[in-house]
Amino acid sequence: MNILLLIFSILIYASLGPTNLIYILFSILTTYYGALHLKKKNKKRKLIFRMVIILNIILLVFFKFITYNNFFNLFKANSILVPLGVSYYTFQVLAYFIDVYQGKIKPEKNFFNYLLFVFYIPYLFIGPINRYEDLKKTLFKKRKLTLNNLFNGLLRICFGLFKKYVIASRIALVITSITTANLEGAYVLLATILYSFQLYADFSGGIDIVLGFSSILGITLQENFKQPYLAINMQDFWHRWHISLSTWFRDYVYIPLGGNRVSKIRQKLNIIITFIVSGLWHGINYFFWGLFHGLIVAFEPRKKNARFLRIAFNFLLVSLLWSFFIYPSSFTALKMVLSIFYQFNYGDLAKNILNLGLDLGNIIVLIISLISLIGIDLKYEKIKNWLYNKNNLTKLTYICFIILIILVFGVYGLGFNTSDFIYSKF
Amino acid sequence: MKKVCLSILIIGIFILSLGFLNRLLSPKYQDSLVEGHMIKEYYGEEMNHEVIFLGDCEVYANFSPLVMYEEEGITSFVRGTSQQLIWQSLGILKETLKYETPRIVVFNVNALRYDKPVSEAYNRLTLDNMKWSREKLEIIKDSMLEEESLLDYILPILRYHSRFSKLTKEDFKYLFSEKNITFNGFLINKNIKPVSSLPTKKTLPNYNFSDNVLEYLNKITSLCEENNIKLILIKAPSLYPYWYQEYDNQIKKYAYQNNLDYYNFQGLATEIGIDYQTDTYDGGLHLNLYGATKLSKYFAHILKEKYNLTDYRVNEEINSLYQAKIIEYNKAIEE
Repeated sequence: MNILLLIFSILIYASLGPTNLIYILFSILTTYYGALHLKKKNKKRKLIFRMVIILNIILLVFFKFITYNNFFNLFKANSILVPLGVSYYTFQVLAYFIDVYQGKIKPEKNFFNYLLFVFYIPYLFIGPINRYEDLKKTLFKKRKLTLNNLFNGLLRICFGLFKKYVIASRIALVITSITTANLEGAYVLLATILYSFQLYADFSGGIDIVLGFSSILGITLQENFKQPYLAINMQDFWHRWHISLSTWFRDYVYIPLGGNRVSKIRQKLNIIITFIVSGLWHGINYFFWGLFHGLIVAFEPRKKNARFLRIAFNFLLVSLLWSFFIYPSSFTALKMVLSIFYQFNYGDLAKNILNLGLDLGNIIVLIISLISLIGIDLKYEKIKNWLYNKNNLTKLTYICFIILIILVFGVYGLGFNTSDFIYSKF
Repeated sequence: MKKVCLSILIIGIFILSLGFLNRLLSPKYQDSLVEGHMIKEYYGEEMNHEVIFLGDCEVYANFSPLVMYEEEGITSFVRGTSQQLIWQSLGILKETLKYETPRIVVFNVNALRYDKPVSEAYNRLTLDNMKWSREKLEIIKDSMLEEESLLDYILPILRYHSRFSKLTKEDFKYLFSEKNITFNGFLINKNIKPVSSLPTKKTLPNYNFSDNVLEYLNKITSLCEENNIKLILIKAPSLYPYWYQEYDNQIKKYAYQNNLDYYNFQGLATEIGIDYQTDTYDGGLHLNLYGATKLSKYFAHILKEKYNLTDYRVNEEINSLYQAKIIEYNKAIEE
């Protein structure tokens, strides 16, 4: 099955741009052979380690830069295409390589296994960033296709599609209306709050599809979300949001910088640096987004009282910072967020609510969908276990029902550009 | 075994639900956008026809088969649809030949000016209610705009799902039952809007019909020849969009080379008795009921005299069917 999976993955990846293969193979070859030469007795161990890390980071930074202002006009926008999933696979192979160097894991000798570890196509689009140690437990083992896995996987895929097409794509229409008309004040507040749900539904929906697909094949991937908007502060948020990325930064940036084992001031500086790097991983435009997150995590109080208020406040804070994702530049994002505090046009917003891309029927569907999403999130583990313990016929019924819901209430098709996932561009 | 049966039952209910939603969300083309229902009405015909009309609105608005029957006993059906493109006409002709072989096919040449698909909305009006066949698939492939998807035609819910918030009484009223909106493909319009001013005649960079549309015209000609059908080319007496002399010359030449008859009714308007002050419902683009009646009578005489068609008024069985239609037709006119 793994041979088929690898061929399938490579073919799909190559079909999206054959030149992509050159870059991903570069990362694969350097880290695979590099890792095999990281034996303790090898005198050139450090040199190999540094070379491989630097080469892969240079490649990643290069691609991040060419998306920004065409690398100061050295490259035309379309002359070089950013390889699909470069951010994800680079981090995945670097984690593997560093772990081997630190002696946490043994190098993979089987090149075919290593190819599959990197090439496994579902995650290449949107993550999560998998750790070799975790993935090898199921990816390299002989697996059986079971009906139970099939239905659990399909349920998860359906839930992901529901989030993407019923919630995220619907909200996208409102965000587009607000941003294209340059609406300020209350509209920006609405846009940032709705965008929080859009991004969550879009990203976690995509991850649900990846995890569901993997589950059908009997492969277990890391969960990437844990009810992030129920976080009581920003640090808690980052324990729940894009977990595979935040743990990567913790393990391979924050801890190597000294982590908690340094002075308080240095620790705060490490946090800020880590978040700035995290922002830059998303793109040059996200520097300030990373900086603000870093400052908040470094200096926020760690109290746990007034839980509901803290959750609400943190959600609002996270939402306002998503403005860096909504608007094309940091300056515009800051300007728009500031307008919330001096333009009190809530009456105008109430009057125009039906002119923001959604009619009444669509607004009702959105509200019901959001309530469902929040409700499921509040009791996620319970609902998941309850569903997974049902017999396959019940699961099939739910799957059919969700498919009908998506077909009718999804936002897709002619006139809508909703096929891409937001996080697939990073 | 029980589990298998239950699984089949669940999937069966799913398919039924999908079918129901597909029907609910698709436009019904009954009280609004009625042009989308025309293609379907042919399938309910109980008799064959000696004449089949193909073309765009210039046929379904201008030729009334029931008037032609009353006048000369000619059995005919208009298989015209909005902005019917020539490859769609070819497909519809092929489909028609599965049901019957008419003696005459009348093709309105206005479609030759369109070399490419025009809009998805027009495609939908022609295709949504067409029966599934190889011909339909061919038409879809040839008619789709770049942004369209074949899957949207196969499963209309994929295209029309967003109508869930725009459903009207029409969608529920005609959920399980439908009415015919044409009379043998003729769409009655009694409104009058006299010709006042016509759009200015634009100079075109090229007046030649494209090789693509001429190839389709050749296919229609060949298909008619193979089936021993007389193909007649016509140009309806619409005053716009402007039918250039260069267009007309090419059609005349084609007709001559292929031994076809060609009637351009634009030049015969006076002889037919068309008064553009009373006989058009949109200032000269289409004839209204009164203009269409005049044109249908005129053309019926030509068909009868020149092509020796059968007078079915003496056939009791067919006459009774037509008389029933004529009663309904007259009622609709009086309403």
